[in-house]
Formats: sequence, C-alpha cells, structure tokens
Amino acid sequence: MPEEIDRIILRVAQVMIHELKLEDVTPETFEPDVDLVDEVGIDSMDLATVALVLQDEYGIRIDEDDYPKLTTVRFISEYIQKKMDK
Amino acid sequence: MTGSMFDVYATENDGENKLKIQNENAWKFSEILEDPMVKDRWEKVRKYFFLRESTYDMTTRCNIRCEGCYYYEGEKQFTNDNRSPEAWQKLMQTEKERGITYVVLAGAEPSLVPELCEICYQKIPLGAIATNGLKKLSEQIGYRIHISVWGNDNTSRRIRGAENMLISQIDKYKDDPRAVFVYTFTRENIDEAEEVVRLLDQNGCRTTFNMFSAPTGYDGTLRHNEKSLLHVRHTMTALMKKYPVSIWYSHYNVVAHTHPLSLHDLYSCSYPRMNVSKSIGLGRSFRQYRSDLTWNRDVSCCVPDTDCSDCRHYAAGSAVVTARMFRHAANPDTFKAWLDYVDTYLTVWVMGYEKGENLCHEPVAPPDLKVLIKESQE
Repeated sequence: MPEEIDRIILRVAQVMIHELKLEDVTPETFEPDVDLVDEVGIDSMDLATVALVLQDEYGIRIDEDDYPKLTTVRFISEYIQKKMDK
Repeated sequence: MTGSMFDVYATENDGENKLKIQNENAWKFSEILEDPMVKDRWEKVRKYFFLRESTYDMTTRCNIRCEGCYYYEGEKQFTNDNRSPEAWQKLMQTEKERGITYVVLAGAEPSLVPELCEICYQKIPLGAIATNGLKKLSEQIGYRIHISVWGNDNTSRRIRGAENMLISQIDKYKDDPRAVFVYTFTRENIDEAEEVVRLLDQNGCRTTFNMFSAPTGYDGTLRHNEKSLLHVRHTMTALMKKYPVSIWYSHYNVVAHTHPLSLHDLYSCSYPRMNVSKSIGLGRSFRQYRSDLTWNRDVSCCVPDTDCSDCRHYAAGSAVVTARMFRHAANPDTFKAWLDYVDTYLTVWVMGYEKGENLCHEPVAPPDLKVLIKESQE
C-alpha cells in the first residue's frame, strides 16, 4: 500500500521536525532516505523521544533494540507499518 | 537485614508499577507528560540532549597515590604524555568537528597540566575536570570541577598518603562556583561520610556521591559487598534528608548506585567497551583518549580498567542511566525517577544548570525490577 506508507512518512517527518525543532525543512521536503544520524545529526536521546511520540500515535511498541535499524524516516515508517499490520 | 537484597528495592509502590510495566502499553508518553511538574522538568532536561561526551587522560602523572585508583591499572599508565599545545588544539578541533560538545578531563591529575586544560576549554566550553583538588585550577577554565574525597583526613592519609587533604581542598575551592565535592563511598569509609559532608556543608560546599568500583583484579578491602551496599544506601538517604541543599543527589541515584547489580547488569552499559553497536549514541561517538592522544575502542569507557560487574561509578551512571530514557518512560514513577537522575547529573556536570527539587521522595525500582524479584525467588 504505497499511499499508506507515504502518509506515515509524512507524519514521521512532521514529528521529527516538531520534536527535534529542525529548521529549514518541511515534512514535504524532508528527504525520507537521508541518514538521520550522519546527515541530520540526531542522536540516541533524540531518537528515543521521537520513538515515544510515535508509539503513542500509532499504538505500537518500538523495541529499544531496534533503534540501530531506524536510521532514516523511511525505515522508521516501514517499521511502524509492519508493527501495525501484525 | 531480612530477605534478599533485591527485596530492599521492592516498595509497595513498586508493586503497582510492576503490573503496569507488564502491560507494555499501560501508559502513553503523552499521559505521563500530563503532570505539569513532569512536563516542565522534561522540557528543562531535554534542552541538554545535544551533549556528546568524550573523555581525555591529560597526563600520566599524579601528585598522590591512592589505593584502588583506576588510573594506575592496565596499560594506560604506561603511555607517554603528549604535552604539545598544538597537538591538543588540533585534537580538540577534530573532536568538535566530529560532534563532541562535552569533555571530561581526567587521569591521572589534570591540574598538573593546566595549560592543556585551558586549551580544551577554549575549543569546547562545556566539560568537567576530575581532580584531587590539591592544586587549584585557574578560574579561566570554566568547567565544572569535581574534587575527589575518599573519607576524612585520617583515611586520606592512610589510603591516599596525603595530609590534611579535606581542609586543603576546602581552602582552595570553598567559594568556587565550579566546584562539587565527590564523596566516594568505599567499604571502609561509610561512617565517615557524615562528618565530611557536615564540614563541607558548613563551608558552603556542594557534595555529590560516588561509589568505589573495583578495578579489574582488585579484591582489597575497599570493594563493596551486599552489606556495605545496604549501609551506603541508608547513609546516603539520611544525608540527603539532613543536607537537602548542599547534597546534589536523588533517591533514584541511591537506588541505581547501591543496587546489588552493577550499572551494566542493571541498565546494559552503552559505552563502547561493552556495546558493540557503532550506529548511534555513545557506541558511535564516545572515545576515551590516553595522554598520548591515542584511543582504543575496545577499552573505551569513562573508567577504563574498572571491573564492569562491580561498576557503580557516578560518571558511568550519568551516561548509562541517562541513556535509558526510553525504558524509564514506562510509567510516571520510573519516568520521574529518571528525570530526578538526569536533573542531578546535569547539575553535577554542567556549569550553569540549576538543580530542581526532586520529583520523587522515596525510592523507585529500576524498570526491570520485576525480573530481578523473580530471579531472587528462584
């Protein structure tokens, strides 16, 4: 369902921008494949914050051990989609 | 003491928590933040999530020799000092470029190379210096200064070989807003803490607590056992009650640092030495430089050559407990406990950060306590 994943990508980008107060980027222009650690400069505490907000919103459990995999907005969105499909 | 040491941490309040923790989705993060005090504290501490730490041994030299000193264990003591100002300037510039925003200047005794400390401060203005406090550091260096205290002056003479140590430390740093005195509890000096803290309090000095954590292979009389951990726990709690302003600590600090399990066993240490992941967090960015400016990922942590199964070191906890925010956000009690811990950590380590009142007024169990209790019953 490409439309569904696009919606999640947009929402993850919104949460990321809002929670981390990212400047010079909008949800629409946030490149979903950009590396969040290397290129955006987010760290583990930032990611944990975003994960907590997304957990609330989607009613899923994000496993702490899965953080290393969640390196782009697309990976996070696909992870959420998989959890919701279960 | 009755029952297992694990039972010590099972307060009535914990029972309710455990039930909620078992249901993973019992609490939403947004629900936890509905409490205005929690929300305010959360907003206060999260401003410091930009801190990225590394540590630096400044020199192999020290002006005293202390029993159980982690620095004079292992290989690092045998390196050659690099005292080139240009080399240190270059290192700090490189560190800044790779995202380091906070430095800890430690072993063996940084005050013996003040010119290098000043270079670090000029390049990266947030940090702390761990010193024995016998030689005052220039006020030009605006880092937090952690002055190590290992007991009263009789004990310092015996295990550190230094005369009138506490008096000397107080004379140098009593009016210095950078200074925080770090009382390290060993198995032998627990009952001396009261007189030391009282003297510090009378002189307007701030105190926080550390736990002696045995270097690898050390089996001497300073190493803690179950009985001494419990004794320290009661002592810390009583001192916090008696000196609520001059002691920077929280009930959750007490729980985390006097638990029978080490910090690694409780929280899974995130320093490279115990964490293979290089993708994010300390495993990615933390380095522990020796005084020759080399570093080795395999031994990188804030107190190298400490026995991880005995590590309750305050510096380790500041990173390891703080990094476990996600698991503490399981319910309001553990999250408040975590906020108290982080608030304490920032006060102790960051100049300009003001400590708030602790949100928890009694011990709260670590997030995985339910597992520990189960193990203790088997």
